[in-house]
Amino acid sequence: MSENKRKDAAGKSLAARLTGVILMAAIGIFCALASQGVTPFSIVLAALTVCAALHALRTRTMKLQNGKSIVQPGNSSLLIGMLMADIVVASAVLTGFDFSILVRRGHQFFVILEQIFQPDFNYFPKVVDPLLDTIKMSILGSVIGATLALPVSVIASTNINRSGVVVWAQRIVLMVIRTLPTLVIAKFAALIFGLGTFAGTMAIIVFTFGVVSKMMYESIETIDMGAFEAMESFGASKFQSFWSACMPQILPTYLSYCLYALEMNIRAAAILGYVGAGGLGLLMDERIGWRDYRGLGMVLLALFVVVLIIEQTSQYLRKKLS
Amino acid sequence: MIEFKHVDKVYPNGTKGLSDINLTIDQGEFVAIIGLSGAGKSTLIRTINRMIDVTGGQLTVDGTDVMSLSGKAMRRYRRKIGMIFQSYNLVTRATAIKNVLSSMVPDMPFWKVLLGAFSAEQKLKALEALDKVGILDKAYIRCDQLSGGQQQRVSLARTLNQDPTIILADEPVAALDPVTAHQVMADFKRINQEMNITVLINIHHVDLALAYCTRVIGIRAGKIVYDGPTETVTQEILDEIYGGATVPTAGT
Ligand SMILES: Nc1ncnc2c1ncn2[C@@H]1O[C@H](COP(=O)(O)OP(=O)(O)O)[C@@H](O)[C@H]1O
Ligand SMILES: [Mg+2]
Repeated sequence: MSENKRKDAAGKSLAARLTGVILMAAIGIFCALASQGVTPFSIVLAALTVCAALHALRTRTMKLQNGKSIVQPGNSSLLIGMLMADIVVASAVLTGFDFSILVRRGHQFFVILEQIFQPDFNYFPKVVDPLLDTIKMSILGSVIGATLALPVSVIASTNINRSGVVVWAQRIVLMVIRTLPTLVIAKFAALIFGLGTFAGTMAIIVFTFGVVSKMMYESIETIDMGAFEAMESFGASKFQSFWSACMPQILPTYLSYCLYALEMNIRAAAILGYVGAGGLGLLMDERIGWRDYRGLGMVLLALFVVVLIIEQTSQYLRKKLS
Repeated sequence: MIEFKHVDKVYPNGTKGLSDINLTIDQGEFVAIIGLSGAGKSTLIRTINRMIDVTGGQLTVDGTDVMSLSGKAMRRYRRKIGMIFQSYNLVTRATAIKNVLSSMVPDMPFWKVLLGAFSAEQKLKALEALDKVGILDKAYIRCDQLSGGQQQRVSLARTLNQDPTIILADEPVAALDPVTAHQVMADFKRINQEMNITVLINIHHVDLALAYCTRVIGIRAGKIVYDGPTETVTQEILDEIYGGATVPTAGT
């Protein structure tokens, strides 16, 4: 046991330790038994959990040569491991996860995988246009979404905006926006604006806006407000103070978030076609429908290359910014 | 002229920051405000530029009733009052000259602020302000690469660049070593004498106050307990201001 851990454990009172161990053991045993009833397997699990709990409670007295001694507290890592195992088993049973299906049908996966890894290069010309659509959607969506996010995040920062009501109204709106899955937004956008890349772009704008706003207002709240205070003291308006005193501090963070959003969006954009929002997703859906896994392989290869290029460029730029 | 008449300040949580302050400060005075931490020094000087609202009495500066100001009028009023902070309050990621230029922002049109477009004339003026405090050579260096004393000088240059008639300084040398503290105090004195700017300094170190300022205001628990020329400050008076605690000095 490491020096560090022993200190942590020794700091706790015996009662606190006992409660912790009993609680963990109880949850573990409950998971094991409640999910599948009393079967040999669940009894073994429960028994192991009990053993781990006893192990966690076992203390040892360490004697030094000069006669001093110290009590080494029990080690609960085994118990934590058992608890995790109990929970995994319980959730597997409750979701109807059947290992036998995996065994029976699993080889199919390799059949498909083998075909995907032999991309049909003749199919490439058909991939170009949707691929460009996907890139356009994600770049345009990221730029517009992130631009809109900047003023909104300022309004949602408690250190700049002193009106609590406005801040919280703003945050709740952002929270609602973030709750909507991108696919759902894309579906709605496709219903409203018709099928195609415009719907996809809208979905990405909304998604980027929600995420970047949240990350930004959290960063804005951690900046040093000294310069802002100084600007206000000599008669600058709130906007002027923010722009001159806070912007230089948050600009690198902001740009880095924008690039990060772009990285996420290129992958998100690829799947939007599934709900009719244009781009590669449409193609993927179609290829899978035709069981043309070699065509699918081509689509994925193209996507992979683009994602790789964008991620590498973005990571390089972000490193430069920090 | 700054005039306090029966000024009170009660904070929203009930703390009495100032009570019954009566003061008249003429243009061009160099005033030290001394007192224990928590005595109300910051509160007193921050009421002058309305960073803090007074809750009773009347405060007038050059005939303007400070509490009657709001919005644009208040921002215009603040243009002529400079403020120096203990922690400098600079944009540390920006160069010295950028910080000095920032005090011109309130007078600029929206689009110029947005682009950060300063004219050659403005830049020259900022450089002159930096020269006045002796750090022209640091103009294009980022502030986070400057020493504390140099940063405080940048903030002094920023304030000079707004052509103030009053400078309020809230413990400007508290974070500096004794030698640098003396240099910065000397800067204040020179600015006060050469440009006839009223300077009010909150200061913790009595020796510095006595060495550079012409008038001392001692406050204790929000009340003025001494107000007079530096020469007549005695040990008894200091004892009263500091309530018998050891009188803090900067040394050197
Ligand atoms: N924003 C505030 N809200 C409530 N009380 C405050 C606030 N600011 C200062 N005070 C109180 O007012 C008193 C004077 O504070 P301050 O003017 O900062 O003293 P000094 O600058 O002399 O150290 C102190 O008791 C302090 O706790
Ligand atoms: Mg103070």
